[in-house]
Amino acid sequence: MMEALPAVVPVAAARPRRQVWSVGGGKGGIGKSLLTAALGFQLARLGRRVVLVDADLGGANLHTCLGLAGPALTLGDFICRRVERIEDVLVETGVSGLRLISGASDFLGAANIKYAQKVRVLNRIRSLEVDIILLDLGAGTSFNIIDFFLVSDVGILTVVPEPTSIENGYRFIKSALYRRLRAAAPSQAVRAIVDSALDQKNPLGIRTPLDLLAVVEQADPAAVPLLRKEMGAFHPRFVINQVRDPADAAIGHQLVTACARHLGVKAAYAGYVPFDDTVWRCVRQRRLFASAVPDCPSAQKVRELARGLLQGESLALTW
Amino acid sequence: MVAVLGGNHYEVLGIDARATPEQVERAYRFCLEMYGDSSIAIYSLLDADEQRRARSRVQEAYGVLRDPFRRHDYDVSQGFVRATPPMPAPPRAAAGPVPLPAPPPPAPRPPAPQVLEGPVDGATLRRCREERGISLKEIAGRTKIGVRYLEYIEADRHELLPAPVYLRGFLQEYARATGLEPRRTADAYMSRLRRHPDPTR
Repeated sequence: MMEALPAVVPVAAARPRRQVWSVGGGKGGIGKSLLTAALGFQLARLGRRVVLVDADLGGANLHTCLGLAGPALTLGDFICRRVERIEDVLVETGVSGLRLISGASDFLGAANIKYAQKVRVLNRIRSLEVDIILLDLGAGTSFNIIDFFLVSDVGILTVVPEPTSIENGYRFIKSALYRRLRAAAPSQAVRAIVDSALDQKNPLGIRTPLDLLAVVEQADPAAVPLLRKEMGAFHPRFVINQVRDPADAAIGHQLVTACARHLGVKAAYAGYVPFDDTVWRCVRQRRLFASAVPDCPSAQKVRELARGLLQGESLALTW
Repeated sequence: MVAVLGGNHYEVLGIDARATPEQVERAYRFCLEMYGDSSIAIYSLLDADEQRRARSRVQEAYGVLRDPFRRHDYDVSQGFVRATPPMPAPPRAAAGPVPLPAPPPPAPRPPAPQVLEGPVDGATLRRCREERGISLKEIAGRTKIGVRYLEYIEADRHELLPAPVYLRGFLQEYARATGLEPRRTADAYMSRLRRHPDPTR
């Protein structure tokens, strides 16, 4: 005999497990930090407990995006063990539910932290009592940045509709995927093939992950299903930032299609944010546009983006 | 790179084999833009030559899929549809010795094409055709329109029919082969489609 279920499921039980989201993009100056700050703000407004982490260790400025002065203690203090507890570097942002771990602007060596330190940082951040940990990754495709991206539950890839940004976006995807495949490689031979693929002018002629699979197929066919599985689990989500022309919003669909066809990567199109002078004005005033002008088009789009990402939705291409 | 764009024509355009002509059109425009000279979405992913090859694959796929006849032949060749779909057997006299044909009429006197009253739908056309004992296969043979499309016309599967400009031609051919007045029959059938805007206009 079963007991009657309570009519209302307790909120605590319904709360999804803690998640790590990261915002990368490869190229600098495309609005990653602003997007991260605005996304964190909207997630907090939607009732999630959010911690923003400035993982751009070499060029931290997430605090500025939030209109905050550089905090006295940063992630660098935790990495160098000047403070023992991660909570000690956690600061309030003035927005309910939104807190910040600032980057290591005072510690120039921090951009090159060792793997063990990275693992320690991530583990401690993950232990925080929050719903979403939102990492702002720096520009570039260094292992530090990619490793943070790869451990995320949601990996957001920011691009702007410009060739340079698109190029870096693809480079970011390939670098991240190869790093993932290398870690999963079942043999030295396969690992060596992945390593040579990192060189775009490699003698094997590998230019894309699909080429890589073809070469592995020859060398070690048994490894192919494993690598395919890793590729299938790699699921970057594009956000097109600074969209000026409505037609550019369609680029997201083209990127997803191109990733599937030419890279064998199953990406998604999470959404786009229009170019908006309001954002620029707010940056000048060191205020976050999302909270200063909540009805501006950019703020609204980031709100939609936050909602969609929470529900695991993406923009679908329909004919 | 092994292949710039592999797969069948539907995969090249990124559509389902059941895509409507309008969907074929939209997917084609999307691909053309994506692989176009001014596209930035594939920047650094494909070189100029690969981009050109991808574009010509898209053109090739579209060239086949936009044309109802070629698309039908392609579907048959790929096994997406059967060459001769099952047709409702027309009412026939019991099998027996074939009677001698009646003497031919003194002059080839084609009957005046019938003008149907009121709106014309697929069922009306089919009734007219069956009354005259004409099979779809015969019409297909005479008009070179695939049996599949004739069936779609009779079944009012408007979403599977080609663009209005082609459909009008099909209907007139159908009417002619069935002894109906071509232009007015096509008009009457088309008038029921007017709810769907014609993108070519």
